[in-house]
Amino acid sequence: MPTIMGIYELPAQAAGVVTKLRGRGFTEIETYAPAPFPEVDDAVIPKPSKVRLLTLIGGLTGVVTGYAMTVWMSNNWQILVGGKPYASIPPYTIIAFELTILFGGLLTVLGLFIYGGLPNFKSSKAYSPRFSAEDFGVVVECQDRDVAEVDALLRDFKATEVTLVEA
Amino acid sequence: MTPPPAGSVAAMIRPAPRQKESATNRDILAVMDGAPLGYWLLLLLSVSLMMLAGGIWVYQVYKGLGIAGYAHPIFWGVYIVTFVFWVGIAHAGTLISAILFLFRAKWRNAINRGAEAMTVFAVLTAAQFLGIHVGRMWKSYFILPYPNQRALWVNFKSPLLWDTFAITTYATISILFLFVGLIPDIAIARDRATGWKKVLYTVLALGWQGSSRQWKSHNRSVLHLSGLATPLVLSVHSVVSWDFAVAIVPGWHTTIFAPYFVAGAIFSGFAMVLTLMIPIRRIYKLEAYITDYHFENMSRFILLTSIIVGYAYASEYFIAWYSGVEPEQTAFWLRAFGPYWISTWIMIICNGVLPQLLWFPKLRVNIPFLFVLSVFINIGMWFERYVIIITGLSREYNPAVWGVFVPSWPEMGILAGSFGFFCTFFLIFLKLFPIVAIAEMKEIAIHEKAHAADHSADHTAQGAH
Repeated sequence: MPTIMGIYELPAQAAGVVTKLRGRGFTEIETYAPAPFPEVDDAVIPKPSKVRLLTLIGGLTGVVTGYAMTVWMSNNWQILVGGKPYASIPPYTIIAFELTILFGGLLTVLGLFIYGGLPNFKSSKAYSPRFSAEDFGVVVECQDRDVAEVDALLRDFKATEVTLVEA
Repeated sequence: MTPPPAGSVAAMIRPAPRQKESATNRDILAVMDGAPLGYWLLLLLSVSLMMLAGGIWVYQVYKGLGIAGYAHPIFWGVYIVTFVFWVGIAHAGTLISAILFLFRAKWRNAINRGAEAMTVFAVLTAAQFLGIHVGRMWKSYFILPYPNQRALWVNFKSPLLWDTFAITTYATISILFLFVGLIPDIAIARDRATGWKKVLYTVLALGWQGSSRQWKSHNRSVLHLSGLATPLVLSVHSVVSWDFAVAIVPGWHTTIFAPYFVAGAIFSGFAMVLTLMIPIRRIYKLEAYITDYHFENMSRFILLTSIIVGYAYASEYFIAWYSGVEPEQTAFWLRAFGPYWISTWIMIICNGVLPQLLWFPKLRVNIPFLFVLSVFINIGMWFERYVIIITGLSREYNPAVWGVFVPSWPEMGILAGSFGFFCTFFLIFLKLFPIVAIAEMKEIAIHEKAHAADHSADHTAQGAH
């Protein structure tokens, strides 16, 4: 399938063309951006990132681990002080808190790897170092018969260049 | 050559796109190319100090902690002082990265990378002091709850255990934060590097291309890491302060300690950011990225936290007097007028008095003044911990067990070596990774470009009327 790429200077143009293309029923769209612009990313993937699920799982695992580990270990090695219970929840809250953050953070980064598709050393054909300069790229895969339409759409949003990545 | 008919596949084939380089990339990556002689001299000095401290540490392992002046009644000396000092320094990085991110303070973009790197190296420096302080460093792992033959578990009611968990978590999250932020910038460096650096950056960039999927996950991860790091940064120095506050030593046993330590940590951290970023900005000509506006904002933070710290000092004295507890009163009287009066007054003048000069708007953007002030604050904050720890221990309840502590040469050598260790890693970082977050600076630059485009479009529209 032909793959066409439009180059843009501004995020609003890239976001606009992606929204338009999706409206016309094109689904195989990828963008490249030099900096984080949520409007561009949301145009391609409207749903919130699933990283948040992993952060939640990590945080909950941390808090449960923190309390379970401390309570279990105090009862496993019993030190009786003043007839009080072996486990003491207030100081253990500190351990549970720190582990919530630790596990939450680790799983957040795992989420970045899983949902961001990292690491990935297969370079895509469309990528070029200009996207780590200041250009935005919108890459569309389409049928042969749609090439003219996509080309016109990409140019409508003031593409500085439109190129064919793959015939 | 006649153009092929429009709409055909052949019509789309164009020559390879011309390369347009971004000025932001060029200016910031330039820091990583080559190194002036001064850089190598500084690196040599740092490595020498680090190795000197390594030598002293080996000698201390051989002779025992006695050579560090550890004797009754003072068993927490300069090593613990320096540990708290470096943990404090480590706080500005996460504050700038996480808290200012959540508040959408865009000015943080110019200084967050330097501050994050500073955080990581300061935490690593601090962590070593726990090992140095316990003497038998190779048994430090006893503090971890690991299964052992005697089925013995650690005591989670001890503040030292809380400290272990807090510092470990803080070090891990700081490293993750730094690395996640670096990925897009490493990709920028990868696209422009050659030779062994290309290989290094290719591996570290993990194949980052800035696709929508990657940015989407990246934005969400940074948001969540910030959300997690914000309570963390407040908790870490609180936990460090509880190492003291939970004990019943006069001068330590107060509830004000957690906020007092956190404010002090942010205060000293910002001072260290100034100490590091002022020379870097000047040497590498980054004035277009790190502007006077950034320094003014940091000055305001320093002024605010100085007031909080100054208030805490005053409040400690007031409560000591108002409590009517004689040991408390004596401890605080002896702080200011006892054998450690010099340390106490250095602390009060450097942290509480001198930063008040920042009320003058002209001084807030006077860069040489800020640099000198930041060095004084660093000194003052080291002495703050010295005053709290040493005067507290040397003047406990019973005058019969009072003592006087004089820092020993191994302690001062290892203290100097800690600066060597910190500077060595910071200098290496400066050469290998972008010291200013390029992608985030570009975010601002592109927003401005879009704004300018909107404006010119408005003008054209008005002209057409």
